[in-house]
Amino acid sequence: MEAMNFNFLCDEPPPPSGASVGIVGAGPSGLAAAGYLSCLGHAVEVYDKMPKPGGLMLFGIPGHRIPSARIEAGTLRMARRYGVVFHTHTKICCSAPLFEEEGDHFCTDVKGLGDMVKKHDAIMIATGSWRSRRLEVPGEELPGVCSGLEFLFPIRAARYCAPGVKAPDVAGKRVVVVGAGHSAVDVAHGAAALGAAGVDMLYRRTRAEAPCGSLEIERLEASGVRWHEGCAPTRVLGGDRAAGIEFRRRTPRGEEIETLPADVVVTAIGEVATPPFAKELGLESVRKGEVRWLNMTAIENVFVAGDALTGPSKIGKAVYSGLRAARSLGNWLELKAQNRQTEFSGDEFISREADRFPGGQFKDAPRVRGL
Amino acid sequence: MDKQKTLCIDYSKCIGCETCEYVCRFVHDVPRIHMIRAASGLMAPLYCRHCEQANCAKVCKRGAIRRDVDGAMVLLPMLCRGCESRQCMLACPYMAIFETDKGVMIVKCDLCAARRQVGQEPACAAMCPCGAIHYVEREAVAGLADEAFCEAEQRVLDCLRPVKGTAAPAPKEPEKP
Ligand SMILES: Cc1cc2nc3c(=O)[nH]c(=O)nc-3n(C[C@H](O)[C@H](O)[C@H](O)COP(=O)(O)OP(=O)(O)OC[C@H]3O[C@@H](n4cnc5c(N)ncnc54)[C@H](O)[C@@H]3O)c2cc1C
Ligand code: SF4
Ligand code: SF4
Repeated sequence: MEAMNFNFLCDEPPPPSGASVGIVGAGPSGLAAAGYLSCLGHAVEVYDKMPKPGGLMLFGIPGHRIPSARIEAGTLRMARRYGVVFHTHTKICCSAPLFEEEGDHFCTDVKGLGDMVKKHDAIMIATGSWRSRRLEVPGEELPGVCSGLEFLFPIRAARYCAPGVKAPDVAGKRVVVVGAGHSAVDVAHGAAALGAAGVDMLYRRTRAEAPCGSLEIERLEASGVRWHEGCAPTRVLGGDRAAGIEFRRRTPRGEEIETLPADVVVTAIGEVATPPFAKELGLESVRKGEVRWLNMTAIENVFVAGDALTGPSKIGKAVYSGLRAARSLGNWLELKAQNRQTEFSGDEFISREADRFPGGQFKDAPRVRGL
Repeated sequence: MDKQKTLCIDYSKCIGCETCEYVCRFVHDVPRIHMIRAASGLMAPLYCRHCEQANCAKVCKRGAIRRDVDGAMVLLPMLCRGCESRQCMLACPYMAIFETDKGVMIVKCDLCAARRQVGQEPACAAMCPCGAIHYVEREAVAGLADEAFCEAEQRVLDCLRPVKGTAAPAPKEPEKP
């Protein structure tokens, strides 16, 4: 399969610039940034805690939706042709104090941000958004209840032989999935493929409103998944482990309380961003667009992009965010080399751009007409 | 003229991730490929097919949509007067011409004209994570169209060109999280 071309902006590796950039997180945003910055000739090193680069494209979204060979070929091409170095199994961790000469050394593959800041001329944080949002209903802590990522991740990681991870055991069990986003769809498919006795999906709104799109729901139904709409969970039932779920169903007659038996309940209602050092980096103000430099954090040479900044989004948005942050980082490196980096503060272009993204919808999205 | 190339999206492989639209936005500022979400919930990126018999060009009285040397149908902004009737938009069977707030107020795909000049392929095709976007000679399109391809294509076209007499499902912008 042809490679996803993260280096789509240049055909040939350019001559080396002499600058070194570290990227934390090898999801779509980090990889897009790596592609852009290696096209400027910077020496790019990418750090990721997982055994392979790809982020949620490899470890969250199942292979029948994204061909992992295409992603892997893309990262390999970046490594071979453009000299991008991938440090996998390497977590950049929050426990090592910032800017301290001798941070504690826990183990060989945990590095502190302080080390990074010293080693590289600039850094991009692109660590995604991996902590699952909770339902906040009684019984959620029972064994048998897990989040979408907790469920999906071992399915993929098992294939990559990470020690200690096992594919979830759902064979012959009744599985209830809460949510209707892409992860909920992936969980339902995964559960069906692993031989669950039955898969039910609960969503609080209608199929036409489902974030995954109606086609996905039809596909699920075709594979035997039962779809319930207008259903909001109120309680997970069970004594020492999950045995069922209670929910409010909206009907023409009003709301009715119903229950479904369940051995496994998967809540796939979204994730929240948990970048390392959120506070030190002042991410709140970056999100609000209060920036000196696009996508730059409170630390001058540290930039941020992707879901780590915006919260859970989609691959397209993460790629765009990575590209834009990379361009900003590249511009900054160049002006800094000439000691002109103050020139850009208060720049009108920056405030206009910051206003445009992040923060959801583009005001200038193209429009269709005539339907 | 050499063989004409075009884009061809296999909607059966598309996961609706919007990478094509956002990469296009990065390259061109205003994207020329655009994700819609139909009332039924179907999501699909709309794109120009650079038709052999291009309706958009036929209806434009000013000749502002022309075929370039590689066969791409390109909009010439200096000839376009951004007329209110938007004939080209309405004439395109694939709804591949979009309205914007910038310049002549409409945009269309030019198969990344500046990139082609330096021998690069359209950026969306390079970056689609699923390999769903093909940049191929027109003659090769038929070879890509297997059963799943045609079924998915039909679903999308059904949203765009509802059968006469039935209510048209209006697409709305995709839900942004
Ligand atoms: C189950 C699921 C299904 C989805 N399906 C779709 C879909 O169909 N279409 C779509 O468009 N979007 C989908 N999404 C959303 C999409 O995957 C994300 O929006 C996108 O991957 C975000 O990209 P990112 O680069 O910001 O982060 P990620 O892809 O999350 O990558 C972050 C990377 O950083 C690494 N990392 C994190 N912390 C550290 C650390 N401290 N040190 C070192 N490395 C670290 C992680 O290992 C990971 O590789 C889905 C998400 C989920 C969870
Ligand atoms: S990038 Fe590919 S998979 Fe994503 S929306 Fe576009 S065509 Fe579909
Ligand atoms: S804009 Fe529409 S009619 Fe014109 S070439 Fe493209 S697809 Fe064909």
